[in-house]
Amino acid sequence: MPTIELQNVTKTFGKHVAVEGLSLTVPQGSVYGFIGPNGSGKTTTLRMIMNILYPDSGEITIFGEPLRPASCDRIGYMPEERGLYKRMKVREVLEFFGGLKNGDGIGAKVDRWLERLDLADWANKKVETLSKGMSQKVQFIATVVSQPELVLLDEPFTGLDPVNTDVIKDAILELQAQGTTVIFSTHDMSMAEKMCDYIFMIFKGVKVLDGTLAEIQDKYGTDTVRVKTGDGMSALQNLEGIERVNDFGQVQELRLAPEGNSQKILQEILKRTYVRSFEIVKPSLHDIFVRIAGPQAKEVERA
Amino acid sequence: MRKILRFALREYKAAVKTKGFIIGLLLAPLVMGGGLIAFLLLKDRVDTTDKRVAVVDRSGLVTRALVSAAEFRNANEILDKESGKKIRPAHFFEEVKPSTNDPKGQRLGLSDRVRSGELHGFIEIGPQVVHPGKDPEAFQISYYAKNAAMDDLRGWAAWAINNRLRQVRLADAGVKESDVKDLFFWVSVDGLGLVSLDESTGAIAEGKRASPLEAILIPIVIMMLMLLMIMMSVPGMLHSVMEEKTQRIAEVLLGSIKPFEFMAAKLVGGIAVSLTSSAVYFVGGIIALQVMGYEDYVPLHVLPWFFAYMLLAIIMFGAWSAALGSTCNEAKDAQSLSFPTILPALFPMFIYFPVVKEPLGSFATWMSLVPPFTPLLMVLRLCTPGGVPAWQPFAGLLGVLLFTLFFVWAAGRIFRVAILMQGTPPKLANIVRWAIRG
Repeated sequence: MPTIELQNVTKTFGKHVAVEGLSLTVPQGSVYGFIGPNGSGKTTTLRMIMNILYPDSGEITIFGEPLRPASCDRIGYMPEERGLYKRMKVREVLEFFGGLKNGDGIGAKVDRWLERLDLADWANKKVETLSKGMSQKVQFIATVVSQPELVLLDEPFTGLDPVNTDVIKDAILELQAQGTTVIFSTHDMSMAEKMCDYIFMIFKGVKVLDGTLAEIQDKYGTDTVRVKTGDGMSALQNLEGIERVNDFGQVQELRLAPEGNSQKILQEILKRTYVRSFEIVKPSLHDIFVRIAGPQAKEVERA
Repeated sequence: MRKILRFALREYKAAVKTKGFIIGLLLAPLVMGGGLIAFLLLKDRVDTTDKRVAVVDRSGLVTRALVSAAEFRNANEILDKESGKKIRPAHFFEEVKPSTNDPKGQRLGLSDRVRSGELHGFIEIGPQVVHPGKDPEAFQISYYAKNAAMDDLRGWAAWAINNRLRQVRLADAGVKESDVKDLFFWVSVDGLGLVSLDESTGAIAEGKRASPLEAILIPIVIMMLMLLMIMMSVPGMLHSVMEEKTQRIAEVLLGSIKPFEFMAAKLVGGIAVSLTSSAVYFVGGIIALQVMGYEDYVPLHVLPWFFAYMLLAIIMFGAWSAALGSTCNEAKDAQSLSFPTILPALFPMFIYFPVVKEPLGSFATWMSLVPPFTPLLMVLRLCTPGGVPAWQPFAGLLGVLLFTLFFVWAAGRIFRVAILMQGTPPKLANIVRWAIRG
């Protein structure tokens, strides 16, 4: 039984269509990544799943039942904009938010999570004394402390340093190992590639990608060459058979034109400079994202 | 319900466990009743600086008597008999010959002496003051001073001058004052409540002596107490909802509770805060009145009505306040909405005097049946010695209950839409649209 099923869901604000005809199935126990440019409809979708916003049309099914207020007690939700009572102590605020969902043994659960995320020493400090990273970890605990079966995280890694990013990432994977379904939205494509069982992309309110990373990449074929040369970007000017060059400084990604031939391109580069590596790869999620939502994007195509 | 109570408990603790609440609990009655307390404390404090007053007596009949009366007063009334301490200023009157050719110039000269501090004031007595004719200026007595309206000396001088005029008039009529002493004995009219029959004993109970304390002060204090309770919780709801919205706590909460539960918890928390404060004030007030021997004046029969009306008033105004708070995007919005939020609660303060003066009049009756004003005005009327007809508090309560249900319904619709709305200003048109469309 899927944890979430959205069927043809539409939400408008005045004349603006925020989400249009969205259908989505999230399997139980999976990590599902929501990607898309700012204002594309990710947060609106998450808010509809949380019953904070009501769809204009379509159906949302959670845990096999039509969405109703009581369903939210089984869902943990971390909004994009963090919100904690600044004048409350860390332990108090966690017990309060956890208690609103499921108050059973909340004190012990709070202690365990504070220990797990290395915040035990801050339990009796006021929230206003915490750093941004610590506040974000407290917000994460507030989301998961009631042991929800489904966790929705709106950009959980924004503003975190690499150490805390790893801490939250490990905690998410631990939740998944325990059977929790996790949905998170992110702008970090590499994080989505590495962590998510499924990736969903929404653009201008319309679903444009949905599936595993391999399925999504297969759709775009092996039209990308990742190359490292002695002269970097300057050696790749005016190459024939190339649609776009994405320069990362130390490495460049070349997107082949439909008529492009990778072997001919390699020969041309070798004439200009020496080649340290030349790899034919599937397009990265970042590249796919830019192809869909970048300035040179074509018409939106439904997935 | 569990969530509402849990959230309400947080709201209650957040409000009560602060120094601001404790300080407010102590200071609020001082601020609201500060004028009365200051008046009671300072009413016996008088300026004991001696006062010199010039008298321009165009009748030629009054000055000597005025000087004699002042001398008698200075000798007998300005010192405390036990301690010998000076408790009142001495009065000295200086006779000034009236100017016949330049009375205006004379007044200016005397005014300049007052301005320089040489004189406290001056009195001008008209030539026909003993037997007034048709020309009012001819029998007028004028008192000139820097603050003539509030000057105690003016009242004393009027008393002394009129005593002298009475003597002269009696003498002119050929009557000896000693023969008609009773002519000037003033008999006051005592105010009493209605006589009632004690049904258990059959005895007739005398009417209770009417007292300004019971008729005016107690009703006003009780009404002010209810206003204080409303003010201690309602405006706070606007700001706390605005903070929860701007600090993005609201969206986290809405992941756990419905918007209506959110608002209900705010109201329950606010009611709990007000009940705590009112319990402190009532217990403290009753003990204080018992110590002072005024326990009979405590209108205990009004307390159930007080709490019923207070509860509904806080729900009614609190829902309105929370709804407006949810429309605010920044502290500036909340500041500009603070006054409209409390205006319906404050309005009875503008009309309480005619209501307490004639609590059974049609103005008082109808105004106290207008739902937003009912809680304060009905309690005010109930506290007056005559009370109100038995049906009126029930009718008022029903009106407030219906109005509160409407307010909560409309506020809930506004709250649900506005709490997640960012960047939309709290304009009246938007608020009305959200209330209608939800």
